[in-house]
Amino acid sequence: MQRFSLYQEEFHPSPLANVWIEFKRSHLAVFGLIILGLFLLVTILAPIISPYDPYMQNTNTILLPPVWEPNGSISHFFGTDALGRDVLSRLLYGIRVTFGSSLIIVGIAVFIGVGFGALAGLLSGIKSSVVNHLFDSIMSIPTLLIAIVVVAILGTGLANAIFAITLALVPQFIHQTRSFVKSELTKDYVTLDKLDGAGPVRIFFKSILPNMVELIVVQATIALSIAMIDISALGFLSLGAQTPSIELGQILSESLDSAYVTPWLVALPGIFILLMVLSVNMVGEGLRSALRNRFNH
Amino acid sequence: MIKLLIRYFNLMVITIFALIVLSFLLPYLFPGDLLTNVSGIVPQSELQREALAKAYRLDQSYFSQFQLYLSNLFSGNWGVSSVSQLDLLEEIKRAFPATLELVIYALLVATFVGIPVGFISGLKHHNPADFSVVTFSIVGYSFPVFWLALLFITIFCLQLQWLPISGRVDLLYEVQHQTGFVIIDIWLSGLDNTKDAYLNALRHAILPTLSIAVVTTALFIRFTRRSTMDVMEKGYIIAAKSRGFTQRQIFFKHGFKNALIPILPILALQISTLITNAMIVENIFSWPGIGYWLIQAIYQQDYPAIRAGMLVVALFVLTLTITIEFITRALDPTKEETARAAV
Repeated sequence: MQRFSLYQEEFHPSPLANVWIEFKRSHLAVFGLIILGLFLLVTILAPIISPYDPYMQNTNTILLPPVWEPNGSISHFFGTDALGRDVLSRLLYGIRVTFGSSLIIVGIAVFIGVGFGALAGLLSGIKSSVVNHLFDSIMSIPTLLIAIVVVAILGTGLANAIFAITLALVPQFIHQTRSFVKSELTKDYVTLDKLDGAGPVRIFFKSILPNMVELIVVQATIALSIAMIDISALGFLSLGAQTPSIELGQILSESLDSAYVTPWLVALPGIFILLMVLSVNMVGEGLRSALRNRFNH
Repeated sequence: MIKLLIRYFNLMVITIFALIVLSFLLPYLFPGDLLTNVSGIVPQSELQREALAKAYRLDQSYFSQFQLYLSNLFSGNWGVSSVSQLDLLEEIKRAFPATLELVIYALLVATFVGIPVGFISGLKHHNPADFSVVTFSIVGYSFPVFWLALLFITIFCLQLQWLPISGRVDLLYEVQHQTGFVIIDIWLSGLDNTKDAYLNALRHAILPTLSIAVVTTALFIRFTRRSTMDVMEKGYIIAAKSRGFTQRQIFFKHGFKNALIPILPILALQISTLITNAMIVENIFSWPGIGYWLIQAIYQQDYPAIRAGMLVVALFVLTLTITIEFITRALDPTKEETARAAV
């Protein structure tokens, strides 16, 4: 006997599954996700998949062109640089550092930002106001300026660049979290929690945080793309990663010396930075429109 | 209104004070000799060292040093660069307008290209033209500016040889430094070949402007498109449609203003990003702006210069942001009245 069905579908996807269904509809976003996954794989597996030691100098093969040029050789896919180092291996290691440190930056920024933001949102009065003002003012100062000051105090280096960019990214998470918590506190389900006798800590972790995860993920994709561009920009200006360590922006600035002879050495790191940022932005954009349209079926 | 003004004025004063305190503390945090960090002078003898320490009140309390710093700051006595021994205030007066000039050009490009394109693609969304605009916008704001600048140099300067690589205007034209803005300076200099000088300055400005304008234009398109799409779905637009107004009338009467109000502050806040990008790009094009100047100061460990440059740029950005916030709050009565003033 056929059952009478009131609903169009028997299966009700969870909100998260709804997001995924909507996200899949955009091919560009899925494509971005795949590229992002590849970059993540490279970040983890760079030492295993790179064909050569990125520091090994081979003076017999200097400035070898990439494989698609007539003089190129398959033994060095992207050719070699001015010191005879394999460019492919260097780029893979560069991706590892740039991508990996951006992930670290965003991880720390989310952790600190959400913590302080929750504190500022739950508190009121003078304490809240001090926290707000302090971090809001940092938010509008250009990242490069913060980086310059941090580098001037602590010296150049990847760790200091990471510190500077984290400092610049934290305020926006504080801002977002605070305004979200403030607006949620006036809603009924929080009032219900309060009537049940829940304290502010429990309200935040059990009621507000689950609702906030999506907002944070979207904000984190934006922050991730900013962190990637900033860390490579600092590397390019030789304020970030220094010569022994390998970073995409720093590879780019090193290859400027031979830019006339070997333009591909300038092009390749830039293309990888662009691809990396583009994939993050495509995923972020797809996620945002998926969250917006997930209940519109 | 008055309450709002007072609130924002308070915010401005507090943040500026915090910045000045921070810049006062910087020399104590910088590596190297405190005396050189504060004064910019490397003492040649013990006698000079003692005299300098006395002049900068290093033998007295921090509070008294801060007092001296404040009075020096307001009287325009900003000390000298530890490398070139030039007066810092004069140097910044020279460098900062150059950056501002670049930022203004890029802002003009972004406003006059980004906002109209954003409106058009928001009105006719989900057709091939809109998709290509969206694609351009996503790719545009994913570009690392320094690489874009290098690409432009490779294509337009090295391959095609259309445009000059570096500087603001050829040395051939004797443009006196007066305001720091090259356009005004050329006019004030009263050269015989003013037109050529303008053309030359324009040719120098094209590539740096484009390099930083692409990202901002892409962002402007995105914000405007999104906001237009949201507004055109609102009830009052549908009501106007049902009364038989044409699409054109509806857009210019209702859509235009309502789409612009929520995004204006966001667009204005992009100036901070724009300044960051300008500071990076200046290094590639040897544009004599504050970014170039500050990075040189870092390379040469010129701490007095870093302190002064940081203070000026941060003060400018903060003042601008707070003013914009205040104006949008004052103009937009729909925002909640109890909301706290924020940067």
